[in-house]
This record gives sequence, structure tokens and C-alpha cells, in this order.
Amino acid sequence: MSTEASKEPVVREAPRQQLVGRRRLLLRIPVHADRTFRRRRWPWSKTSVVSVSGRFNPKTLGRERFVSHKAPLWWLVFLVLTLAIPLIAGTDKILTIASTFTIYASINLMWMLIMGTAGIFSLASLAVTGVAAYTACWMTINWSLPWPLMFPVGAVAGLLVGVIIAIPARRMDGMYYALLTLGVSEICRAYALQARWIGAQSQGSLSGGGGFIPDDIRFTATGQRIGYIAGFLLLLAALATYRLVNGQRLGLLLRASQKEDEAVSESMGIDFQRARLAVFLISSAALGVIGAFYAGYFRAASLSLFGTDLLLLLFAMIVIGGIGRAEGAVVGTLVVTVIDRYFIDTGAKRILLVAILMLISVLFTRGGAFGLKDQWQELRAKRRSSRRAARSTRRGQVLPEEAPDIHDKSLIYQRRYDHAQREHLKALINDDLMEEHRRSPTGLHSENLERVMLYFRKNDLAGKYCVYAIEPFKRYRIVALSGLPGVPPRTIDDRVYTTIDDAYHAVFLRRVNDLRSR
Amino acid sequence: MDWFVVTSALSLAAMYGLLGIGISLTWSSIGMLNLAHGFTFAAAGYGAWWASKNLVKAPTSGTDALIVGGAGILIGVIGGLCVGLIAFLPLHDRPNFPIRSLIATLAISLAGTQVFLLWFGPLNKPLPKVFSPVARALDRPKLEFGPISITWDRVGAIVCATLLCVIVLTWVRLSRRGIQMRAMMQNPEGAALVGVSVRSTGMLVMGICGGMAGLSAVLLSSTFFVSPSAGTQPLAKGLVIALLGGLGSVPGAVIASVLVGFTEALTAKYFGTGYTLFAQYVLVFGVLIVRPRGIGGLLAQVRE
Repeated sequence: MSTEASKEPVVREAPRQQLVGRRRLLLRIPVHADRTFRRRRWPWSKTSVVSVSGRFNPKTLGRERFVSHKAPLWWLVFLVLTLAIPLIAGTDKILTIASTFTIYASINLMWMLIMGTAGIFSLASLAVTGVAAYTACWMTINWSLPWPLMFPVGAVAGLLVGVIIAIPARRMDGMYYALLTLGVSEICRAYALQARWIGAQSQGSLSGGGGFIPDDIRFTATGQRIGYIAGFLLLLAALATYRLVNGQRLGLLLRASQKEDEAVSESMGIDFQRARLAVFLISSAALGVIGAFYAGYFRAASLSLFGTDLLLLLFAMIVIGGIGRAEGAVVGTLVVTVIDRYFIDTGAKRILLVAILMLISVLFTRGGAFGLKDQWQELRAKRRSSRRAARSTRRGQVLPEEAPDIHDKSLIYQRRYDHAQREHLKALINDDLMEEHRRSPTGLHSENLERVMLYFRKNDLAGKYCVYAIEPFKRYRIVALSGLPGVPPRTIDDRVYTTIDDAYHAVFLRRVNDLRSR
Repeated sequence: MDWFVVTSALSLAAMYGLLGIGISLTWSSIGMLNLAHGFTFAAAGYGAWWASKNLVKAPTSGTDALIVGGAGILIGVIGGLCVGLIAFLPLHDRPNFPIRSLIATLAISLAGTQVFLLWFGPLNKPLPKVFSPVARALDRPKLEFGPISITWDRVGAIVCATLLCVIVLTWVRLSRRGIQMRAMMQNPEGAALVGVSVRSTGMLVMGICGGMAGLSAVLLSSTFFVSPSAGTQPLAKGLVIALLGGLGSVPGAVIASVLVGFTEALTAKYFGTGYTLFAQYVLVFGVLIVRPRGIGGLLAQVRE
């Protein structure tokens, strides 16, 4: 051995460990055993504020708690940011965009109730808003209605229009009803454009109505902030309405009748037509309130509320976010409103972008942007299982089918490691190694032989070979241990060895044979 | 009876009927409400305009008019195939196809309008009168027939549209591909089971309907203009006709197109052009409340 090698011992670097999985990113809540367990609930309901689950973690051997349904937390973060950013940024443009976003998002939420929950493909939601806006605005101009009364007036107007539109909804379905409601909005547009009593004002729009922002501060930064905060409150109210209708009894009834056959649910006593009508009327009244808010915010009611352009834009928002989910409606509205209003200088290109987003979401996603997570996880699961199925050598490893049934996942890794170790040891065994063991079964050995024998020694006790002395120093036999207390070892064969070294070597040969055959 | 109203109603009915029958056929055979029909229409209009600028010196002779018309129809066919390529082929075997294809065609028409706006600018493009060579050849500006006097454009529109409709419908009745199409209309799954290719037949339908839209674009645009949003109004009319007639019913669509044409001509005469859409939707309202599936709508029930 050279002197240099002894001076510098070889330092083998430990292989870098990759962090695998997302468990370490899970938000854990400290476990407390000393305090009383208390669950907070939403007022007047049995729903938990934050649903927390607990379980045993086999790795840390401890108990852990985590938030199992994180949507409320995300909502909180989103709403706080939505409220804070425009108020802090505070420029004219951003505040206007933000206020528009809240109005559009509220309309979309109510529209989603009609299309998603009630399952009525109505395109007249914007027209309902428009009629309410015109009514409220007209009343403030001509009858000098005080502004707080605009909202009940809008709600009544929306409810009335809703009743009129709801009459044919029972008889027709699908595209016929969609066209009919499109026609309603066109009739409203043509009427507003031509009617004399709207005041023969410019291009059919009403202006100069009452509003909730005082006149003297309306165009100042404070006035705009007040407007935005009011819009935010409107959005919160719309979200609450959505949650109350979709998440409570009415929504449950309708979901039951949409998932199963309508005839089945009817036979079980669910009057789904009535539930649909109720949802439709509630959202129409809410749309009326939003219309009154529109009139109060802009102090005007414009013809664009009945036009197809705005309707298409709102539809694009819903489609991009994902039909049937509140978060889809709100985030889709945010994305499209920002594209449409913030990048207004790019002209036609921004609408092109919206159209392309819409096309992508309908061609490649199953439920808009918010269905992407499920879709991605499904795709991963599919690819993972096909990769596993493609692997053919198993050799003592866990099969992918049985992996979900093994609770302690470290067993799987142990068996995988064992497999790798066996493969490595098999490569070490050759004739020289056998010869070395035959010459001296005990004592100091070469490194390879030592590794092989160490592996043999740490095997399970059950089925382990050992040497049985029939007559010390004269006759030895090989037996296998049972591994159970009280059960004697069984004899393997009737060969008798005269020295103990021969017996040791015979045990070694058997173990090598077993290793190779596995 | 005012003959002017009658002839203008008939010519409008012929041109809108082409669009309505196209939408109706697409719905009944492949189950897609094609809202990009207006895009195909505008594309064909621009194609005809381009041909009249670049391929033709001055559209005075008959062959030049044919080139312009042919270019319009060709671009219409290509436009229809493009819509099929984007909205039909990738989606037709996925769940919830009717709603998804509707959204996809809506997106195409939205994008198409903006692309035309970027490409050709917002200005209206005039299209040459395709039937002026006829007037020149006969040395008469109008067709005089007793008390009736009709411009050649109207005559041409009525004749061409009716001719194309008759040809297409005869072909659908008699040819082998037409039988495949009708099999798909009656029962798409059954047709697929006996070996009718849904994809190729669907694309064929898209091409044919695109060609019909192209012809109506050439016919209409000589009266109106070609502009980025030129497809919106004809699309609305075509939809009204298709739904009024009952989706999937060709005789219903023909009756509906005549009804719509007369309503439009009469309201334009007695109330002013601002009320035409208003009157049409009132008509639709009335008819759909009496017959919720349109005038001849039985097939829609079978389809769903």
C-alpha cells in the first residue's frame, strides 16, 4: 500500500437526496392534547369554518392535523387581495376596472345559478340587469327616487322580468329557449332605442340619474374608492347568494335531479320544476339588484346592457373560468376584465386573445381553468400506472396493484432496497469467493465475501439454516429453524458432515443457492 | 299588393334560407349549432372581394362574374372545413359535445371578426354586382313582367339560391353520400354501427354548408358591403330561420325563411329598418310559444 493513500483516506460523498412528493408542503397544524377540543362553525349552520382532519403519520410516528378542505382559505386570500390591491394602487384606471369587475362578477355568479344550478340555458340575464337599471335610473330622474330605494325597485323589476321569461322556460328546452332569451334582449334593445318615454336622449341611453356616491366627491379618488368598496360588498352579497342557493336545499334538490334521471327524482317526490323556477326567480331578483347598483354607480343606463358584445364577453368569462363553479366565474371575470379593460390600447388583439383563451379552454380542458387540477391529476395517475405496468421484473418487489393496500409505505421501499441489494450481491458471487469460503468458513474474509455473509446473517429467523451437532466434533447435520417459539427446527436432508467447517460451507452453499433462485 | 315588397321579401328569403338550411343541416346531421356560420359568411365575402380586386380587371364580362362568385363559394367551403376542423373533429366524441361545440364555434366567430378587423381594416368593402353582365347583355336594367319590375340582382339571387338549394337537397336525397348523411341525421350511433364514417361525413356536411354560406355571401354582399362584422346579422337571421323552422327540418326552414323574408320587407316598409330584428324576434316569440319545437321540428326530439 502506498503512503499517499494512507495519508488521504478516500472520502465518499453521500449521494444527494432528491426531495420527492409534496407532503412536506402540506400545512400542518400543531396537535394539542392538553386543551379541550372545540370546533368553530358558521353561524346558524352546522358547517365548520375550516375543516380540519387528523391522522397518524407512520413516518414521524406522531399525530398530525391538517386542513382538509382549503377552498375557504384560498377565497379569503383572494378576496383580501382583491380588496386591497385596487385601494392601495388607487389610480383612476385601476379603480374603474376593479369596480367593473365586481359588477360583472356578480352578474356572472347569478347567471351561473341560472345556467349551472337551475340548468336553464338563458341568455337574458344581462337583459334582466338592463331592465332593472333602466327602471331604477328612470325613477330617480323622473320621480326623484332616493338612492337607497333603487335597490328594492331594481329587485322588483328584475323579478317581474324573470316571471315573464320563466313562463316559456317550462315548455321549451336547450337552444330554442336560448334563442328566445336572445330575442328578449334584442327586443329590449330595439325598444330602448326607439321608445319616446325613455326621453329621446342620446342613442337610447339614460343618464343623469341618482347615485349612491355623493355628487361633490364623485370624480375624486375618495369617491372612486367608495364606489369600489360598494362594488366589493355587492360581490360579497352575490357570493353569499350563490352559496345559499347552490349549497343549500334548493341546490341539492336540483343536483339530485340533474345527476340522476329527472323522472326518477320526480318519483321520489322532488318537484324539480318548482325548484328550478325558484332558483330562476331568486337570481332574477338578484340580477335586478345588480342592475340598480349599475345605475347607481354609473348614474346612467346604457344600451350596451342589451347588446350582444357584452353578453359574449360575459359568456367568455364563464367559459374560461369553468361553468358551474363560483371560483370559475369570479376568476374568469377577473382575467377577461383585465384583458379587456387594462389592455384597451391594443385594440382588436385583446378580444382575439379572449377568443383564443375560450377556444383553448373548450378544446383542451374539461371544465375551464378550475377543472385543470383534476384533469392534471388524472393524467398523472394514468401515466404513472402505465409506467408501472411497463416494468416487467418484480423479484420480491411490491407490485403496483398491492401498493395502495400497504399502509406503511416504508415497507415498500424496504422491499425495493432488498431487491437492489440482492441483485448487487449476486454479481459478487463467483468461483473464487466460493473457494475462499470453502478454505476457511470462519475468520477474516475478503470484503466481498464479508458483504455476502453479512446479508445472510441478517435474514429472518424463520427458515434460517443452522448446524446441528448430533455428536460434537464427529457428526453434524443441517436444520432449518421454524422461527416460532416451541416449534423445533426441521431437518433438511440426511447428509452428515464430519467436521463443523464442512457443515458451515454446506449452509453457505444452500444460502447462495437460495439467493440465486429468488 | 306591392310587388316591390314581394320581390324583396323573396330575394331576402332565398338568401337567408341558404344560411338557415346550412345551420339546420349541420345541427341535424352532426348535432352542432354552428355559430361560426357568420364567420364563414364574412370570409367568403372577403374572398369574393379579393378575387374581384386581384383576379379580375373589371367585372364586366360573364366569366369574370363567375370567377368572383366561384371564389366566394370556394372560400366558403374552405371556411366551413376550417370550422369543422377546429370545432367538430377534436370534440365530436367527447362528452357534452353540443354545448362545447357551440362555445367553440362562438369563439371562432369572435376571433374571426377580430382577425378580419386586423387584416382588412374596419372599412366596408364594396363588392361588384355579380349580375350586371346579364343586364348589359340583355340591354335592360331590370326584368319587366307586366306590373312587376325586378332588378337582375334580385332575380339572380332568387334563382341561384333556389337552384343551389334544390341541387343540394336532391343530392342529399339520391346520392350515396346523401343517404349516409340522412342516416346520420336519423341516428348517429346506428349510422356509425353500420359503417358510416362520422368524421368524413361530418366534414362533408361542413363543406357543403360552408359553400351555401359562401353563395349567400356573394349574393348579399352585392347589395350590402363586406365588413369584419358582416356575418353577425346574417347569422342571427339564419339562426332565427333554423330555429323557427325547427332544427333539422328543411321544409320547415323553407317556410320559415319565407316568413322571415316577408316580415323583414314589411317592417322595413311600414316601420323603418330599425325595427326589423325586433319584429323578427316578436314573430319567433309567437311561433315558439305555440309550437315549442319550431314549425317542422320533430327531428330535434329524436336527436336528444
